[in-house]
Amino acid sequence: MHQPRLKSKVRCTDREVGEITHVIVDPLSHEVSHIVVGGNGGGGRQIPMSEVQSIADDLVQLRTASGALTQFPPLKREDYVTTHEVEIAHLEDHLHVESGEVLVPLPTLERNVPRRTFFMNLTHAIGALVALPLAFPVLKYLMKPMYSPFDNAWLKVGNVNRIKTEDVGVQFKYKKKVKEAFMPEADVDKNVWLLKASPDVLEEVYKGKDMEFRDQAGRLVWTNKKDVPYVVFSGKCPHLGCGYKWRKVPKLGKEIFLCPCHLSIYEPSGKVLDGPAPRPLDTLPIRVDAGGNVEIIDMEFKAGTKAQTRIV
Amino acid sequence: MSSQPNLLEKVIAFVDERVGLKTLQAKMLNEPVPGGSRWAYIFGSVLLFIFIMQAVTGILLMFYYVPSADHAYASTQYIIHEVDYGWFLLSYHFWGSSAMVIMVFAHMSQVFLWGAYKSPREMIWLVGLALFGIVMGFGFTGYLLPWDQRAYWATTVGVEIMDKTPIVGDFMARFLKGGATPGQMTLSRFFVIHVMILPAALMGLAGLHIFLFRKAGPAGPFRGTPEELKAKTDYFFPRQIWKDMVAMGAVFATICSLAFIEPVVLLEEATPDPGEYHPEPEWYFLFLFQLLRLKIFSGEFGQFLGAIAIPGVFMALLAALPFIDRSPERNIFKRPVALIGWIVVMATILIFTVSAIINREFLD
Repeated sequence: MHQPRLKSKVRCTDREVGEITHVIVDPLSHEVSHIVVGGNGGGGRQIPMSEVQSIADDLVQLRTASGALTQFPPLKREDYVTTHEVEIAHLEDHLHVESGEVLVPLPTLERNVPRRTFFMNLTHAIGALVALPLAFPVLKYLMKPMYSPFDNAWLKVGNVNRIKTEDVGVQFKYKKKVKEAFMPEADVDKNVWLLKASPDVLEEVYKGKDMEFRDQAGRLVWTNKKDVPYVVFSGKCPHLGCGYKWRKVPKLGKEIFLCPCHLSIYEPSGKVLDGPAPRPLDTLPIRVDAGGNVEIIDMEFKAGTKAQTRIV
Repeated sequence: MSSQPNLLEKVIAFVDERVGLKTLQAKMLNEPVPGGSRWAYIFGSVLLFIFIMQAVTGILLMFYYVPSADHAYASTQYIIHEVDYGWFLLSYHFWGSSAMVIMVFAHMSQVFLWGAYKSPREMIWLVGLALFGIVMGFGFTGYLLPWDQRAYWATTVGVEIMDKTPIVGDFMARFLKGGATPGQMTLSRFFVIHVMILPAALMGLAGLHIFLFRKAGPAGPFRGTPEELKAKTDYFFPRQIWKDMVAMGAVFATICSLAFIEPVVLLEEATPDPGEYHPEPEWYFLFLFQLLRLKIFSGEFGQFLGAIAIPGVFMALLAALPFIDRSPERNIFKRPVALIGWIVVMATILIFTVSAIINREFLD
């Protein structure tokens, strides 16, 4: 059955009683549930759709006689809101209570459809013309500070006379001068761990070979000799980059390097004893002069990888 | 009483004629809530409220805060110790972020348990997941800004985790840090992400979220015949709005109390030397932090598994959820897999968070 339309004439079994003034919609089913008949004897009664026998273009036929209309309640307007004042999803999508489509003429100039398509495409083209040439400069602009050359300068970190016992990690704090972009040069606190290694530990660190450090171009920067007993470890945990400590662990009955973040544990030689770390502690270039002064090259390596990749 | 409208009524009529305020207001308020208003539906409104308060307090903090490596810490300390009520606004902003994360979890849980992500609401769910990501991004970027040790180390580890993404990880981490290690460039980037990019993204997506929600209409309860639901239906205003307002008031009072009882205290200024500080992320990232301590997530591959693959697969599963779970059944008591899944995820998060907290003692 069609939906009853506003302004349609309403006829009872005996006579015409007026026209539809309102249509009431069920908010759940979205179907028309009642019509309200006004004028000539309708009396603004709310008539359920079950009383509607048929709907023609402009005429709604009821099953009731006109005399029986008073059994239906009159419309209490204050109990309703209009569809413009309520938000029910898709309510208006299948309501056809207006008599036919409501049309607005296109302006004469807009009646040429292909041109509208052309202008739509042109809009996109100009948008792309603006955006595409910007993509590369913007990317380069944002990437500016991402890659910087390595600094292979030697830094003084202290004197080995602080180390009293073999195979015990001793933290050496030092300041590194950092000049970042436009910022004034700043002293940044850093630290490394020094170890006076016993021959056994030294063997574990160097595995009988000198350790070579190279720059990006592959040129040799420095060689740690395998017989120098002082070993220096980068202060950065090779798991995820936290700072680790030297701790006595009662459970193990010995002293080890422990990272408090994810609980990686390293032997004095830097070898992973337990925890999630993927590789041993990173050994740095070290040189110790006759007076015991220690200098290092401050290097940092990418954390979390099995291979050692230098990033600073 | 005269029938002539008074001046105020004239002004209102003037504006309404040009803006259509009354229709707009009617549309906003007259939204049928199938089955009637419920306390279970408060979370979306509460999130919007928390976000507005975060925006207000955040803007106020920017009156004094300077996002530079040599002033960020000092300006934050200045806000805490010198500026009248600065400690309160900063602490409100700090606790507000935790409230936001809690409410996001509550909101997502409610939608999940009620089966409200199902057809035709898949897009609302997807946009909601993006909003979840944005809220976590807010937490992560905002954490660095005070530039104390806690901030510095949470960022160091967090970005290292991102670095573990295959192929693009190194680029992404350097892009975010603006270099190989955290510094001024990182602070600048996190700042602009925190105060410009994420708020714009959140406002846009939250708008879309609400638009899609209004378009599909509320899902309503997961039980009851259409007749029962219709009988209990009311409009968004006033019963649901009343419940929302009570919840907002309670959240506001809670955040204020926390700000008074536990105001923000900074640690020492950020340096690449942690000293005696044991790095730890904010509580809502603790479970992930603890997860990465597990032996099965050791080594390069294990780390990828724990830090990238598992969270990634979990998020992908959430995104695919409305497309995998196509049964129209919404009653959580008739969806055993969903119910058990939710309990397992929540219990895992809880267990890992608690064990991270217990682990603190072992370290001291």
